[in-house]
Amino acid sequence: MPRHGSVITPANLVRAGFQDGDRAAAQLDRLGECAPGVAEPLGPLLARTADPDQALDQLVGLGDALGEECAAMLRAVADDEGTAMRLLSVLGLSQALGAHLRRHPEHWHELTDPTLGTTRPAAYAVRAGLLAAVAERPYAEAVDALRVEYNRVLLRLAARDLAHDVGVDDVAAELSDLAAGTLEAALAVARTETGAEARLAVVAMGKCGAHELNYVSDVDVIFAAEPADSGATRLASTLMGVCSAHTGEGTIWPVDANLRPEGRQGPLVRTLESHTGYYERWAHTWEFQALLKARPVAGDAELGRLYAERIQPFVWSASQREGFVEEVQAMRRRVVDHIPAADADRQLKLGVGGLRDVEFAVQLLQLVHGRTDESLRVPTTLSALARLIDGGYVGRDDGQQMHDGYAFLRRLEHRIQLQQLRRTQVVPDDPASLRRLGRSLGYLKDSGEELEKEWRHHRLNVRRLHEKLFYRPLLAAVARLPEDGARLTPEAARDRLAALGYADPTAALRHLEALTTGVSRKAAIQRTLLPAMLEWFADAPDPDAGLFGFRRISEALGRTPWYLGLLRDEGKVAQRMAQVLATSRYATDLLQREPQGVRILGAVLTPLTVEAIRTEMEAAASRRDDPQEAVLAVRAIRRRELLRISTADLCEPFGVAEVGYALTDLTDATLEVALGEAIRAVEADRKAPLPTTMAVVAMGRYGGGELGYGSDADVMFVHDPLPDADAHQASSMANAVANELRRLLSLPSTDPPLDVDANLRPEGKGGPLTRTLAAYAAYYAKWSHVWESQALLRADAVVGDRDLCRRFTEMIDPLRYPASGLSSDDIVEIRRIKARVDGERLPRGVDPATHFKLGRGGIADVEWTVQLLQLRHAHEVDGLRTPKTLPALDAAVAAGLLATGDAEALRAAWLMSSRARNATVQVRGRASDQLPRDARERAAVAQLLRYPAGETDAMVNDYQRVCRRAAAVVDRVFWR
Amino acid sequence: MGKQEDFVLRALEEREVRFVRLWFTDVLGYLKSVAVAPAELEGAFSEGIGFDGSAIEGLARVTESDMLLQPDPGTFQILPWRGEAPATARMFCDVAMPDGSASYADPRFVLKRTLSKAAERGFTFYTHPEIEFYLFQGKPAAGDEPVPVDRSGFFDHTAQSAGSDFRREAITMLENMGISVEFSHHEGGPGQQEIDLRYADALSTADNVMTFRTVVREVALNQGIWASFMPKPFTTHPGSGMHTHVSLFEGENNAFFEAGAEYQLSQTARHFIAGILVHAAEISAVTNQWVNSYKRLIGGDEAPSYVCWGHNNRSAMVRVPMYKPTKDQSARIEIRTLDAACNPYLAFAAILAAGMKGLEEEYPLPRETEDNVWSLTPAERRALGLTMLPKNLNDAISVAEDSELLAETLGEHVYEFFLRNKRAEWEEYRGQVSAFERDRMLPVI
Repeated sequence: MPRHGSVITPANLVRAGFQDGDRAAAQLDRLGECAPGVAEPLGPLLARTADPDQALDQLVGLGDALGEECAAMLRAVADDEGTAMRLLSVLGLSQALGAHLRRHPEHWHELTDPTLGTTRPAAYAVRAGLLAAVAERPYAEAVDALRVEYNRVLLRLAARDLAHDVGVDDVAAELSDLAAGTLEAALAVARTETGAEARLAVVAMGKCGAHELNYVSDVDVIFAAEPADSGATRLASTLMGVCSAHTGEGTIWPVDANLRPEGRQGPLVRTLESHTGYYERWAHTWEFQALLKARPVAGDAELGRLYAERIQPFVWSASQREGFVEEVQAMRRRVVDHIPAADADRQLKLGVGGLRDVEFAVQLLQLVHGRTDESLRVPTTLSALARLIDGGYVGRDDGQQMHDGYAFLRRLEHRIQLQQLRRTQVVPDDPASLRRLGRSLGYLKDSGEELEKEWRHHRLNVRRLHEKLFYRPLLAAVARLPEDGARLTPEAARDRLAALGYADPTAALRHLEALTTGVSRKAAIQRTLLPAMLEWFADAPDPDAGLFGFRRISEALGRTPWYLGLLRDEGKVAQRMAQVLATSRYATDLLQREPQGVRILGAVLTPLTVEAIRTEMEAAASRRDDPQEAVLAVRAIRRRELLRISTADLCEPFGVAEVGYALTDLTDATLEVALGEAIRAVEADRKAPLPTTMAVVAMGRYGGGELGYGSDADVMFVHDPLPDADAHQASSMANAVANELRRLLSLPSTDPPLDVDANLRPEGKGGPLTRTLAAYAAYYAKWSHVWESQALLRADAVVGDRDLCRRFTEMIDPLRYPASGLSSDDIVEIRRIKARVDGERLPRGVDPATHFKLGRGGIADVEWTVQLLQLRHAHEVDGLRTPKTLPALDAAVAAGLLATGDAEALRAAWLMSSRARNATVQVRGRASDQLPRDARERAAVAQLLRYPAGETDAMVNDYQRVCRRAAAVVDRVFWR
Repeated sequence: MGKQEDFVLRALEEREVRFVRLWFTDVLGYLKSVAVAPAELEGAFSEGIGFDGSAIEGLARVTESDMLLQPDPGTFQILPWRGEAPATARMFCDVAMPDGSASYADPRFVLKRTLSKAAERGFTFYTHPEIEFYLFQGKPAAGDEPVPVDRSGFFDHTAQSAGSDFRREAITMLENMGISVEFSHHEGGPGQQEIDLRYADALSTADNVMTFRTVVREVALNQGIWASFMPKPFTTHPGSGMHTHVSLFEGENNAFFEAGAEYQLSQTARHFIAGILVHAAEISAVTNQWVNSYKRLIGGDEAPSYVCWGHNNRSAMVRVPMYKPTKDQSARIEIRTLDAACNPYLAFAAILAAGMKGLEEEYPLPRETEDNVWSLTPAERRALGLTMLPKNLNDAISVAEDSELLAETLGEHVYEFFLRNKRAEWEEYRGQVSAFERDRMLPVI
């Protein structure tokens, strides 16, 4: 038990910060035995460290290792608070450096140096020390000696960092100097070992090149050699081995040369000529971005200087290269699309709001603006950020926040790495480690929680950095608001807008100005909304249209009380609106016909059920006396639902089949209610009740539930006179109802018309518009052609009188699913018709390769093939009795009528054509049967189909491929 | 603006270049050229030069005529036959869509795509073509039998012959344009020449083949003679081929070489050869794209008609040349089907794709053919499992129409256009009444 009276008791120790009081008291006792009287002063000193228990344990270990000298060390620590701070803070945070001290106990003297707190070691001195350590030693010995000397310098550096609060940027710079010296010494070792005589310059890239290395990371380098012969290669690879080998003295860090031209595949060393040749011809924009940080650090100084001189111009000419904007866009997306890493939410570097976000964003701004503004050409992230702030490229407050966030994250990273000197960027989640880290950063109370809180705060800030770094300064350029600091010049703003993908930056600036100028509430809200919206626009195919559309809608609705509130409070609404406006002319038209529609963007985007739509439409219609007014109300609801469906299609993962079903439901409901209104109108006109029941039969794509945005509704009208009705009057009124229905649905209005097309009826345009059920039966009995059976496959009687619908279906079933399949004459007939249609089908000047419906392997080819199978086999395969194409395909496979691979080829072509057709209508705003010819529209279609930017022709190539494969199946299945 | 662009712009000044020809290639392999003034070039580098793609066969879909030429400054050369100051220069171009994305209709992009697929697996593709052609006395008039410039044979050294003068001047000019010539000699037929280009990466060699064909024809014109790469101009004399040596490199190392293996052929090389053999018939329409090409292939001599490989066997379709000790880097295989009238971009792409397919799927290499295939009886060939290459363009097209490999490699647009065009060529040929028929029939029936 304690011999030192009341001061060093387990309880006191726990109160002071130790976790295990008993053990600490015992350890302090042991130290007291070694050097009487040191325990009392040591207790409080230790208690101030990040992890007092660990510090004490390691101090005891160091004492043991020192043996005789133990007492002297303990006295020095107890007597000199500076030494104590330096030694104990290192022992409290770093087991790895503690282990080094036990291996080389004499190094504790290093930390008695009082100048450590004030003097940064000169880079040349560090280098000389490292070179001296390895000089004139055989290889294995030199490799060990290099590690010992490296750790000695690192120990001093860690002490400066932990005990003297050196700024994180200075620590990083000193670590880079140490790395440079180490590379130089390793080169000396390698040269002795290999005897190679080639001149070799080691160019540091990445963090080391930028003077912002952390404690443990790969050191990125590129080698330039003259001549680049096998000797030079051996020299370089030996150098890498010297640094990365594991020996009894541990390892230093891996040297990574993969940033070199051609990466892993390229030769390890190249001549200057070869380097420049590569950057002239082959390099990608990201490689130039990497060159921002290139700095010769070791080896042949003259060669290194020449390298830097030759390479620099490339970096700043990058923004004039073709495809620069696309590559910048891709890089910007790379910042957002985080690599899914293990421990993503504990990742300091790659996680959301991580270090890489800041680094990428700063480099990107440097590349965009550094071409014209030389002051931005600095490699270090924090310095570059400061220059960006000074130049007005980034707002002062936002820049300051970003600076604080980055510095915090880097400090935390350093502290995490110091413990084991391992290359890790994951924040530990065990309480003991969190406590140690928190205490090392100065949170003495609730250390772990405080640390987490602070981290979360910075992460949130960094996460919104695009808004802050890229977009908000654009507003500052036009908003004419009093703001401290420089602001973006109009020229720089235009450069930036262009790099973000705006085709007409001047107009974009004008819109921004109109939206944000002034002191109204509207302008104020829009100023806060716009940075995020500008980003969403930039992610979509047509940013210019997005911004312009936003301006128009805002001008229309700006005074409406709910509008701005909705956008401001419901983040989702603003984002959806941005996406819609900058992508889809179709949806934009729907929005602009009636800006009030913006409300729908805040609603659930799942399409309503057919019952729900019908109920709402019926209610709206019943409130109006005039059938014309009633149908207009129905059409307004339809417009709103069209907007909902197209927005869902744009903003959410939504299948093309689902779009078809949703549009079909909507059409069903519209026709149902409009039919009731048409009957009402005709009854009022004739002043007599309708003496017949009526139904509307969906045909074609409508019948198959496969409507696209631009499709007409193909229908047939059927009626059945009441038992005692006058046949002539019944037919006349039924005809009038059909005509009235079509008229009401296509009256000019702000809402889009629904074109009802009855041309698929018997005898086509020449035949009567409506027929009685009996007339249909008589017609089909007499004139039944096989192509009419084929058309009836897609008939779906769903609108109007339920009973009539059922009886119509019963009447046509034997026709479309003929009991014995098709005769060989019928098959020949169908093929003949198809051959004739194929011969005549394409209008002049149309590219057959990209026509959705009639191209080879297009929608029609697939559907004819499926329909032939249906006609032949539906009488024996129930599953084939469906108007829908895809379920029929499945049924054909299940029944063994079609090979799985063939069905897949047909399905792929049908889906691709249908998706491309819908995307084309979305982009162009009107129905179209082939891929747009206009380059920008075509690119937008590609983007809607989820192709990355710049791969438009790849989309076309894929499109043609699936169609070619389907055409081959059609050849086999339909024609043979 | 990069260094290379700067270099070009400077050279334009220094060499007093009056015109720059922007070269590109249509789907059939014809060289196309647009001349621009030097002043327009700066814009061409940054934005490309617009042209009407629909005017060029197979380049644009009818509907999208606006296309861009993007000059590749690495290919800048003064055209030596246009004389010094004021000079004319040329650059090869990539064809791009108006939004700057590469056009799938551009044969150069077909090759680039195939090369980059191989690069993803760590390979660079090198080729070394040996180009044969005939020299005639003046441009042959339609219907006439052409007259060769000499009557010499293989490797004959003829004093003061038009052919050797010609070769000297042609080689000088090629070297002036930065195209290294390995070897040149008189070939087997009268007036037939062979010039071998130095091996280089496939994109450069394809550019070089295009240049070569132009240079040879220009030099011939200057000397008042006529040069032709037609695969088989004479019934009785050997045809002109373009035997092409190919190899894959992984970084600095030749991936075809393996010390100690049989013929020093690595497993990679074996799979690669197997791929070429398996897909030989499918890619035949590209490597031998004319009606006339097949008359060379069935003619025997140095041209192969059977799908097989052999070590130093000149009757085999793929020949593995004798290995020269100490020359690890020169391990390679020779493909003997190609003729010089092919589109080199498409042909190299098809060969690389077939070989890479063999590599990916690890096709086994069939047994080597040691005999002269020509001297075997049909039964022996059947016993050895030797299949024939397509006998004519029609057969080649039929096989190609079912080829997923070819469609993937050429891209849908080029694939579709190419086969349609070839089908039309065959249909037109099929209806021709030839001298052969007249000579046989008119006298007797």
